Amino acid sequence: MAHLTLSHVSKHFGNFSAVRNFNLEVERGEFVSFLGPSGCGKTTTLRMIAGFETPTSGKIAIDDLDITDKAPSQRNVGMVFQSYALFPNMTVAQNIGFGLRIRKEPEEAVKKRVAEMLALIHLEAKGNSYPYQLSGGQQQRVALARALAIRPQVLLLDEPLSALDAKIRVSLRAEIRAIQRELGITAIYVTHDQEEALSISDRIVVMREGEVDQIGTPFEIYNFPKTRFVASFVGTLNTAVAEVLDPAQGLLKMNGNLLQIADRLNGKVKGDTVMIAIRPERLSFLSEGKKENTLEGRVENITFLGSVVRIQLNIGGTAFNMDTFNRPSLRLPEIGDTVRVTCSPKAVLILTE
Amino acid sequence: MKSFARLRNFPFWSWLWFVLGVLYFVLPLFATLEFSLGMERDVISLKAYQRAFADPKFWQTFGYSVFLAAMTIIVSIILIVPTAYWIRLRLPEARRIVEFITLLPFVIPAIILVFGLIRVYSTPFHIPFTNIYLGQPLTNFKFGTIFLIIGGYMVLGLPYMYRSVDTGMRTVDVRTLTEAAQSLGANWFVVIVRVILPNIRTALLSGSLLTFAIVVGEVVLASFLGVQAFGPYLFLLGQHRAYEPAALTFTTFLLTWASMGIIQLVTGGQGQTAGAH
Repeated sequence: MAHLTLSHVSKHFGNFSAVRNFNLEVERGEFVSFLGPSGCGKTTTLRMIAGFETPTSGKIAIDDLDITDKAPSQRNVGMVFQSYALFPNMTVAQNIGFGLRIRKEPEEAVKKRVAEMLALIHLEAKGNSYPYQLSGGQQQRVALARALAIRPQVLLLDEPLSALDAKIRVSLRAEIRAIQRELGITAIYVTHDQEEALSISDRIVVMREGEVDQIGTPFEIYNFPKTRFVASFVGTLNTAVAEVLDPAQGLLKMNGNLLQIADRLNGKVKGDTVMIAIRPERLSFLSEGKKENTLEGRVENITFLGSVVRIQLNIGGTAFNMDTFNRPSLRLPEIGDTVRVTCSPKAVLILTE
Repeated sequence: MKSFARLRNFPFWSWLWFVLGVLYFVLPLFATLEFSLGMERDVISLKAYQRAFADPKFWQTFGYSVFLAAMTIIVSIILIVPTAYWIRLRLPEARRIVEFITLLPFVIPAIILVFGLIRVYSTPFHIPFTNIYLGQPLTNFKFGTIFLIIGGYMVLGLPYMYRSVDTGMRTVDVRTLTEAAQSLGANWFVVIVRVILPNIRTALLSGSLLTFAIVVGEVVLASFLGVQAFGPYLFLLGQHRAYEPAALTFTTFLLTWASMGIIQLVTGGQGQTAGAH
């Protein structure tokens, strides 16, 4: 039995359809990210789980208990907001204990739980501070502790790291994940940052224009994107149109270059066109003796990205990026040189729209 | 050369308008103070103050006005805070209408308001189109009159209280704070009392102070409704005495300043408490 279930959930605002037929089952203790660009419906879906929006149709259940029409205060769901939303008039300890006091828990139990939470977020010395006396990262940790203090069945995080600087974002996301694992709590995390989603999640739900494009592990989403949108949204991707030469053999022709793919092209006939995709890191300079999937192109630009060097190629009129590790022994071509690159048949992905 | 450059950079016109503005406000106040201290010939004394404070009517009317002001402030907060909160949270499209309504006391004089109140509430309540009477006219008994005058004062203070509260709510992220409190299990009452009100207390104090100032000095409503308040008392005193009204006017100013000091005392040191960040 799934811990959190969303069945055929849709949300319309007047004529605008924000979320359409959203289906998801989340296991207990699982960390699921909703990933997508602005306006794709990820936050609306999260807000429906929290109870701040009512679905136009569909059902939301926690442990098989229908919570679709329950008020936010009646759902045992913790929420962390992008803007922290700490109560400015309360100290850190009072913020963390707020939910417990609302539940009329004994004062001793509240104090004990607050101390536990402060230890969990490593802010034991800040219990008497006010939110404005804390840094952004510290405020968000307090917001996390406040949401966790009530022992929620599901923890919801709405772009919690967006307002923080890059370095704190990386350390805090690791901390969030560690705390989630330690407590074994089910978490739904909304982000538009694909790196964040890939690094933190057990599963990712990629959304586009109110619909789910793909649900999968970070490995599946990155390596086996099902749609062109997923492939382009998650990581950098080279895409091109190719002509089917032999569907049974998985043979294609792209800008005059022959391409072999790993699988058969079921449902395609000779002369059809397909959209192919190759990750930049799956391309490499052609080594001696290798013949399949040879692509010839002209070097347009070379960019150093730290540990990686990105080489921009023009292959038969189509722009391709190739990433290679930046090591001292690396011998790079000059801009304007003609080079031959290759990739394995497994690296060539066939995308649907 | 340097001093010439400094002179050229001196914001002459800004300072001129500032000084003129200060003189415009301070001179009448100073004149009032000086006049109030000159009751005894050729001597500066507090006699006018002693006489004014010795009059039991002063304490009676002033105490009554303070009571009316306190009641007006309480009723205003009870009505206006949830209204402004709801408009900000759920009905932003109604803001213009409500803002227009709150501005009406600026364009409709108090005299019209009081005649309207008397016209409507000086006849017994009855069910329309029947001869069934439900009660006495409000103007016929003391509690009814208090009820009427508090309602009237609330209308007069509406622009100040509503705008103060609305401005206060603009400085805090009302929506997110509400949602955060709800997700922790708080109901609407708890959200307003424990989360919203404490975070707009500066605005509430400002609105309350302005309402207090309006109610304590108000003459028209109190006179026409026959309420023994401070405003009519001061008005009558001004017709019969010279120095005592000046003393009481200056005392009222001191009271206002004291209230402002209290606001600073209460809200100072809180730093940046507003906002969800």
